[in-house]
Amino acid sequence: MQASDFSPILAECCAEVLDAMYFATVTNTTHREATPPSPEPDTLAFQLRFQGDIEGSFGLSLSLATARTLASNFLGDDEDALSTEEIVQVAGELSNMLCGSIVSRIGGTKRFALSHPEPCTAATIFPFGLVSALETDYGTLNTWVAVHSTDNVASNEDAPVLQVAH
Amino acid sequence: MAFNILIVDDSPAMRKVVRRVVDLSGFEIGKYLEAGDGVEALTVLRQEWVDLIVTDINMPEMDGEQLLIEVRKDSLLQNIPVLVVSTDQTATRIEGMMANGASGYISKPFMPAALSEQMSRLLGVTSDAGF
Repeated sequence: MQASDFSPILAECCAEVLDAMYFATVTNTTHREATPPSPEPDTLAFQLRFQGDIEGSFGLSLSLATARTLASNFLGDDEDALSTEEIVQVAGELSNMLCGSIVSRIGGTKRFALSHPEPCTAATIFPFGLVSALETDYGTLNTWVAVHSTDNVASNEDAPVLQVAH
Repeated sequence: MAFNILIVDDSPAMRKVVRRVVDLSGFEIGKYLEAGDGVEALTVLRQEWVDLIVTDINMPEMDGEQLLIEVRKDSLLQNIPVLVVSTDQTATRIEGMMANGASGYISKPFMPAALSEQMSRLLGVTSDAGF
């Protein structure tokens, strides 16, 4: 399976997470196989690694303004009442939830463990993957995902495999 | 009857969301207790009466699976219901946690009503949530 075939799973998982817990609707999604965009000023960016029967990386970046609104929706607090620390925590939790949802879907019955969301910079961002721009009613979220180890996933007939360069 | 609920998650934001769902569910709460991982949770459990544990799996120091195992083999703690809330939606993980003695399993993302219903079942009370 090529990266482009994998995009519907990513779009579906992101829409589900954003709708259920952040009360945000994904209005449009575009995908490309590319280098993720470097985090810009006033942008929050996180990366996670998943390890086990399926291994790879996932990343999320979004503007601080979008993160603030999503944090408000998630916590049920007014935007003005939120601290920067809370906004960062909620964005990190969003990356955790998105990654868990996506890997669960592509991994089928395979077991995996997620690392903790780590803030990432242009220097630490991984070099290649399926990059998706999710337009929501609160701004755009960029995600990127790459499966580095596909051997174990390939043994699971139910699980699609994303082929990416190393 | 007021219930003491222990929320175990390394994400303070997630702990706050679970607490909010409990608040909206209308359960009578004695104490909210919180822990950032399994080690902290066991410390709390040895100091406080707890009626329900709501725990994540993926946490530093001691994860939710090991916490569950420790609780189930401790004669003083083994009857406390443990509700697992995790991003891991795989059947393998869910079945594994249930086999280890979990009382319920909710996958993230979850609808607040689903979490409320599970807590209501495990506490043996009716929720008056207006989700």
